[in-house]
Amino acid sequence: MSDNILEIKDLVVHFETDDGIVKAINGLNFNIRREKTLGLVGETGAGKTTTALSVLNLVPDPPGKIKSGTIMLDGKDVLHMTDKELEEMRGNDVAMIFQDPMTALNPVMTVGDQIAESIELHQHVSGKEAFEKAKEMLKMVGISESRAYDYPHQFSGGMRQRVVIAIALACEPKLLLADEPTTALDVTIQAQVLDMMKDLIVRRQMSMLLITHDLGVVADVCDDVAVMYAGRIVEIGTADEVFNATRHPYTEGLFDSLPNLKARGEELVPIKGLMPDPMNLPEGCTFYPRCPYATDACKAKEPQLYHMGGTHYVACTAYQDPNFRLRRNSNG
Amino acid sequence: MTKTTANAEQAVMTKESLKQFKGRSMAQETWRRLLKNKGAVIGMCFMILLIIVAILSQFIYNYEADIITMSAGSSAQAPTLQHIFGTDKYGRDIFARIIYGARYSLLIGAGSVFIGLAVGILLGSLAGFYGGFIDNLVMRANDILYAIPNIMIAVVVVSILGTSPASLLLSLSISAASAFARITRAAVMTIRGQEYVESAYAMGLPTWKVILRHIIPNCLSPIIVQVTLAIGNNIIAASSLSFLGVGIAPPMPEWGAMLSDGRQFIRSYPWMCIFPGLAIMVTVLALNLMGDGLRDALDPKMKK
Repeated sequence: MSDNILEIKDLVVHFETDDGIVKAINGLNFNIRREKTLGLVGETGAGKTTTALSVLNLVPDPPGKIKSGTIMLDGKDVLHMTDKELEEMRGNDVAMIFQDPMTALNPVMTVGDQIAESIELHQHVSGKEAFEKAKEMLKMVGISESRAYDYPHQFSGGMRQRVVIAIALACEPKLLLADEPTTALDVTIQAQVLDMMKDLIVRRQMSMLLITHDLGVVADVCDDVAVMYAGRIVEIGTADEVFNATRHPYTEGLFDSLPNLKARGEELVPIKGLMPDPMNLPEGCTFYPRCPYATDACKAKEPQLYHMGGTHYVACTAYQDPNFRLRRNSNG
Repeated sequence: MTKTTANAEQAVMTKESLKQFKGRSMAQETWRRLLKNKGAVIGMCFMILLIIVAILSQFIYNYEADIITMSAGSSAQAPTLQHIFGTDKYGRDIFARIIYGARYSLLIGAGSVFIGLAVGILLGSLAGFYGGFIDNLVMRANDILYAIPNIMIAVVVVSILGTSPASLLLSLSISAASAFARITRAAVMTIRGQEYVESAYAMGLPTWKVILRHIIPNCLSPIIVQVTLAIGNNIIAASSLSFLGVGIAPPMPEWGAMLSDGRQFIRSYPWMCIFPGLAIMVTVLALNLMGDGLRDALDPKMKK
């Protein structure tokens, strides 16, 4: 058995629309270690959600097409599963938590029924047993059992996200895909929900792909971090490597646009420009037009992955020069 | 002293009503709001009364003796205590015929709507969910049906199958099905993109279960409203067809057929037309009041 629960290799996903081909994911590679949490970080439109949907083979088709690559989930190739195998895998081996708890629950079903649905489907138990188990799940996420008969509109946002988590964990999946699980919640609730998730993941020995654009959340929860830009990984490593020995100019830009608690007066430095249009990606390095370190070499060819020691890799042509350092690192 | 008890009682009341509020499902909530609408309540009461009367009519009246037997002696009598709605030209009691006719009107109205509903939901949800070729096929066929007046469809069906309640039912269901297919398709298309549908897939549910358990239940409110309105419409349509002679054949006491019978005597014996006409009007009005009330009750923006 491999050390990795999930291995994604050379994944390419395109959306073929009438206006042109949207290149959402362009040769994506990363692994998630067993019982570890990988944080997938990147701006809106970097292809994070598409990555998660690809793992479930749920990219909306049409217009989405998984063009090439392999996704090995616990040794099985997700992209070559039959419909039946996919249905058995979804929810049972891999579960997904969606971004917006306001819309991720069916408004006309009680939350108990919604949790029980997945249990009934995968564990082949009677409706009654499933409902009992659903109540236990509710208790586990900190909601009183008596509320299993209530409808989603009777819950607050934070409570709903707990229900969504209960649904995802109901069948004890090996891998949890969490797509910005706390983005729609207010800050106080974010911390509660994150703590709860962290705790449950450790207790149930699950692995998790945590999609977020909040580096604070990543630092708090993740073992490994992958930074994604325009459908590729630009930097990947353990949280310690990526946070304390940042190598990619884009990752540096992400850190610079965060307020620094130690230097409160300091101005924030946003990354200039916008994410490139995925229908019309720049040649060479896709970050080239926004990169403060860009040279002509960056424009010429796609950067390869450079090994930075340990598990740390970075896709930046500047590291052809072994003496290249980011400003962030040379200053301190 | 009394004041304190009253206060205490009130406190208990609010606590209880709070509990009620918490445990209230969407159906209960809708029902509560429906009961606040006077028009809807009146419409509902009338419909319940009419349904009871329609069911009991066969025990009260004897079809042979009271409904279709002609008696020349009592022909065309004005309303009296004995015949409160008067009699028609064959001497039959109009009140009895209207009561008995309620069964036909209601059965045909409701029956055609429910057949249309089943077919319409099936086709509409397939079209809305899968889009593409199926959608084109269903919706273009639907457009063709829309381009032909319902009465024409009915005339064709009746001339092929013969004049009978069954062919009337069939022809009315065709147009009902096309209306329901349209509504269902539109509703399914909006629900299909919701996150809970995606989440149901991510849970591993097969497509048919996703449609049946997550999509259709969320499309129901516009459909429910349409059902009540469509029953009213189809009662009128059935009456119109009977009036034209392609619906239910005499001597069956269908409201539209009775109107048609009385038409030639409208100047001298107006009650032959007034009462069947009123029966149609009041029934349809009651159904429309119910439909409007339901629409308001199901609309979350009307919530107070």
